[in-house]
Amino acid sequence: MEIKDLSYNTGEWLRGTGKESDIVISSRIRLARNVTGFPFLSRANLRQRKEVEALLRETIAKSEITKELSYVNLTTATTVDKLLLVERHLISKEHAEGDGERGVAFGKTETISLMINEEDHLRIQVIRAGFELKNTWVVIDEIDNCLSEKLNFAFSSRFGYLTACPTNVGTGMRASVMLHLPALGMTKHIEKVFNAVGKLGLVVRGLYGEGTKVSGDLYQISNQFTLGKTESEILSIIESVIPRITSYERMARKALVLESKEQLEDRIWRSYGMLKTARMITSEEILQLLSQVRMGVNLGLINDIEMKTLNELFILTLPGHLQKLQGCELDSTQRNIIRASFVRKRLDNL
Amino acid sequence: MKCESCGKKIATVHLTEIVGKEKKEKHLCEECAHNVTSHFPKAPTPSDILTSIINQVSPEIEEMSKTTCPVCGLSYLEFRTQGRLGCPMDYDVFKKGLLPLIERMHGSSQHVGKVPPNASDEVVRKNELMQLRKELNKAVEKEDYEKAAQIRDKIYGFSGNINNGD
Repeated sequence: MEIKDLSYNTGEWLRGTGKESDIVISSRIRLARNVTGFPFLSRANLRQRKEVEALLRETIAKSEITKELSYVNLTTATTVDKLLLVERHLISKEHAEGDGERGVAFGKTETISLMINEEDHLRIQVIRAGFELKNTWVVIDEIDNCLSEKLNFAFSSRFGYLTACPTNVGTGMRASVMLHLPALGMTKHIEKVFNAVGKLGLVVRGLYGEGTKVSGDLYQISNQFTLGKTESEILSIIESVIPRITSYERMARKALVLESKEQLEDRIWRSYGMLKTARMITSEEILQLLSQVRMGVNLGLINDIEMKTLNELFILTLPGHLQKLQGCELDSTQRNIIRASFVRKRLDNL
Repeated sequence: MKCESCGKKIATVHLTEIVGKEKKEKHLCEECAHNVTSHFPKAPTPSDILTSIINQVSPEIEEMSKTTCPVCGLSYLEFRTQGRLGCPMDYDVFKKGLLPLIERMHGSSQHVGKVPPNASDEVVRKNELMQLRKELNKAVEKEDYEKAAQIRDKIYGFSGNINNGD
């Protein structure tokens, strides 16, 4: 598979299916691993970096579960290609912007991605649509076991899996669930959610993880600590919290319908109208418009558009995707024009 | 008054130096004074002051600041400024400084999670023991003494040859 093939569709995790898919977009787990016998990347010289990259790339290509994955060398990838991979959550921003020998292996469905030489030698990631942490863990655990047969990962009985940053040490696991919470945002109850999850050792992050801002009412809830609890304990904390947040969001939506039905409906229909008619849409604006329409679909107000289509619009109109589709670099004004026309065409064909 | 040093310019800087009981006065022009004062010991820089404050607050940093990893060459101070460790060995070499940091980050400093499937038997057993100890604490907290006793028996069941230290 080539990168250009990605720009026409979405990954499987954006199918809009799965448990609680009206609010939970996706469930993601990543594991941080380092190979013994090499320094962590900040102290690795060029030769060692290359050796780690080759060792991991070859092991992935030979291992039963991962041998079918496609590999992209990020050292030689273009800026647009790297941006596209970030937008699809196949690599992190840091991985795209980093330097030296590094790459990513991912599957056709984009459920699995293995980042080589990100902050750690290896970051294994599995994403699933909807609220699916348990199954996600089963898959990632299996990949980790499979690779462990051929690789020795740095581990101590005291600190667990050893990582470049002590914030990841132990399980090396970060589990996150992406939620769409427009009503809690509108009613300003979202702060309460932040405070409550904070007390449980969880953190709220933006769309692209650590340090990114919240756009389109999309939030990622993930564990802060990685040491002192087993993987299943960490996952069950998140699993116990998510249903409370989703029911809180549903309550807030009901309250909005009861208290300000006209304003809410007006807002949703205006957003839908804008998507269908606007001539220029910024990347920030489209996330807000799609967020409103998504809520409209969930509330049963809008019936002629599928969640899958909304997810496609969400991902295919991001800057990297638009540029890949056009086959050239575009400035922001050009992107805004092309984005609006792309959305209009998609919605006209319904 | 002319400068005592160059004898040309007007002396605008008047220095008083006390050595033992003797008091010496010097009258210099600005230029000559600059040359003389630059030999005086430097005033502490803000970073010196900061370091001394850190040392008062957490003395382990003072002690650790002299530590450098023999494997990757990273010093503890470099780690504190960059936040990234250099190699797996650093967890051992910087343990004294890392422990309080890790405790604060994770609320614990003992791994109880997954063990690599290819880990040695000793590591696996140690990990099981840690998990049992944790369960024991939980049971005691919940005042479930029956369960606590069961777990305690399991812990006793482990052969005594496991080195509990790290």
